[in-house]
Amino acid sequence: MKNLFRIARWEFVTRFRSRSFMFNTIVSPLLFTTVIMLPLLFFEHQPEQSTKLVGIIDLSGENIARDLQKELNRYYRLNNTSPEYMVLNVSVNNSEPYQEKLGEFREIQARRDSINQLYNQIKQQRTRYYQNTKLPNRTYLLQSSYKKLQQVREEKELVDIELSRFRTALDSVYKFEAQKMADSLIVSGVLNSYLIFDTDFKETGIIHYNSNNPGDFLDTARLEKILQAIIIKKRILGDNVERSKAAHWLRPIKLKKFRVQGGVQREWDFYIQFYGPLIGVFLLFMAIFTASGYIFSSVLMEKNNRVIEVLLSYATSQQLMGGKILGLGLLGLVQIFIWIVITLALAGANIIPVQKIDYLTINNALYFMLYFSLGFLFYGAIFITVGSVSANEYDAQQINQLLRTVAIFPALLSLMVLTEPNSLLIRILSYIPFLTPSFMIMRIPLSTTPITEDIYITTLIMFASIAVLMYLSGRIFRVATLMQGKKPTWSEIMRWVRAG
Amino acid sequence: MEEKLLEVQEVSKSFGEQQVIDKLSFRVKGGETFGLLGPNGAGKTTMMRMIMNIIRPDSGAILYNGEERRKIKGLHFGYLPEERGLYPRATVLEMLVYFGTLNNMARRKAEVEAIRYLDRLGMVEFTDSRVNQLSKGMQQKVQFVAAFLHDPDVLILDEPFAGLDPINQVVLQEILTEYKKKKRILIISTHQMEQAEKMCDHICLINQARVILDGRLSDLKKKYRENAYLIESDSPMDYLHEMKGIKILEEKNNAYKFAITDRSMTITSFFGLIKGKVKIRKFEIVEPSLHDIFIKMVQKESAGA
Repeated sequence: MKNLFRIARWEFVTRFRSRSFMFNTIVSPLLFTTVIMLPLLFFEHQPEQSTKLVGIIDLSGENIARDLQKELNRYYRLNNTSPEYMVLNVSVNNSEPYQEKLGEFREIQARRDSINQLYNQIKQQRTRYYQNTKLPNRTYLLQSSYKKLQQVREEKELVDIELSRFRTALDSVYKFEAQKMADSLIVSGVLNSYLIFDTDFKETGIIHYNSNNPGDFLDTARLEKILQAIIIKKRILGDNVERSKAAHWLRPIKLKKFRVQGGVQREWDFYIQFYGPLIGVFLLFMAIFTASGYIFSSVLMEKNNRVIEVLLSYATSQQLMGGKILGLGLLGLVQIFIWIVITLALAGANIIPVQKIDYLTINNALYFMLYFSLGFLFYGAIFITVGSVSANEYDAQQINQLLRTVAIFPALLSLMVLTEPNSLLIRILSYIPFLTPSFMIMRIPLSTTPITEDIYITTLIMFASIAVLMYLSGRIFRVATLMQGKKPTWSEIMRWVRAG
Repeated sequence: MEEKLLEVQEVSKSFGEQQVIDKLSFRVKGGETFGLLGPNGAGKTTMMRMIMNIIRPDSGAILYNGEERRKIKGLHFGYLPEERGLYPRATVLEMLVYFGTLNNMARRKAEVEAIRYLDRLGMVEFTDSRVNQLSKGMQQKVQFVAAFLHDPDVLILDEPFAGLDPINQVVLQEILTEYKKKKRILIISTHQMEQAEKMCDHICLINQARVILDGRLSDLKKKYRENAYLIESDSPMDYLHEMKGIKILEEKNNAYKFAITDRSMTITSFFGLIKGKVKIRKFEIVEPSLHDIFIKMVQKESAGA
């Protein structure tokens, strides 16, 4: 029995001092948490950010820039002082192609004006002819002036068509030139984005958003929300609704989310609820696979370099197996304890908002240790067997990779667990020993109702699986570790199990 | 001092269809160096593992002072397997202390003994070095220390001299000689017949799972003696070729190996025949080497099978 503790001590001390333990305990979780949290931090807090310039190409003449600036100022400010967004009209009135086109347009406009003038003169003349009944040749004058009027009207219509065509062309040139300028402003970094409001944007509700990064959900979501309100307001006002009434109708709505658990209501935060348990699963996975991975590499190394033969002559195979499980299991618990201390330290320094995270409880820490222990014993027993029967490290590592993939699979279903932690599918999957620890560690904080029953069931299933696996691995380990260079066949393994 | 005795009685072991040990019996007395010899695959390693209680025999018994081996508690074994391994990342001292404590040594005592042995083997400055920083020869010395650090009751060494330089071979022989004086069980398995001949008092030759030769080395040499003699003189002794009752077996530089073929001829009568003819430098009874006996027996056994 003493040798079991001596072996446990050796395994614990040699691994505790190794660089890989430090890496798996501190560096790896830190990297993972950083990778997950960094985008969120950038997304949520951008205090050092300067005001963003949003360009406007307004073809509608609605003076949308003013409304947009007003609304953006109301909701988004940097440090609650300067506006987060500045709206800038992109004007190209002085550009050469536009001026050229505008000159042509104005010429046509002048022609139309003179035709209009002529038309009105003829109309007035005809009125006079009409009123003056004593006029000699009155009928002739009326007839000839009518012909003239008709000619001028035709000409007027043609000029109107030409003018409208030119107006469209002028708008296109304006839009093209403005877009060219806005693009260059984006490239040079002056503008963050620009919006194009076509003449009919109120009716179609379509606004073009141009940016280096149209995937910036934060900006697009904000602009969408504000523009929605502006357009609807314009539509409502267009229907002659009183301005104050429209403002009242358009008052923004915010959905505040609460979570009801055990009669206590707490504000619900997606990031905390989703990423917290996900980090938890990762840490559990790290803990289980650090410790059982050490068992695996320890058996594999001792088998490959034949230390096992010396060890088995000093201690029994049961002592050797038990010592490894005890020593490395303790190492795993120490790793978890280190994480708990770090969490407490971060909470104490207000880096982790503990008051918002309702699942950071002693109970859940104990569940974490429970599922770690069960997962470790389960995978540890498998790894002892795999390590002892593997003829070489390459074969063994392949199985190791496969088991790791299986164990982390629940993390892929984390969104499903978040939506419905107690659905039938998730419950059934939790009963599969390979997946139990990962699923349960996500379900416990996410479930709104206590899942004590499932905790009992999964613990029992895990205990039974561990007992069977330990029995088998104990029988296989003793014989298999002494074999060298040859991979045992299934029938040989079965024989060892039967023979003991 | 009570004499120690390790007995292997009718032990058999098979792996699947393959019979590795077949009703093997021998006795090892404390204070003698027991050589377990045999060609590759003869079953030596399996036999040693059974003595170490790493694997169990299918039948038969292994007794230590009359008690069943696997029932005895607190019996300390030292084992140097043929294929040797250490923990590459551990330091020499911490690893030796670990092995020592596994054999019930107190940590402090293990440390002191480890440093003492390392010093004796000329590597005390490597006490805190990592094992993977040592040369192969030095790693082998560390393994020796691991095997007898805890002053075992039974010491089993598989090919102990393989890969050791002559100086360290001498140091190891000294340590083993000291161990022998304690009248404990010492079993050496080796292919190096010269070493076995130098070290062992008792030989057990195994071939194809069975004992084909077992006995004290001196007795075996007597038993397999070819009745041959060696005579060396300062001048040629060609007349020996014509002498009746003897047969020249080998001849080299005035040295003649011959056998007496006539039963009436004695050594005294032989000396009478050559008296005054030459000056004799050396005369000895030619004993067969262990190597010769080994080859002869294995070949005979194989031919018989």
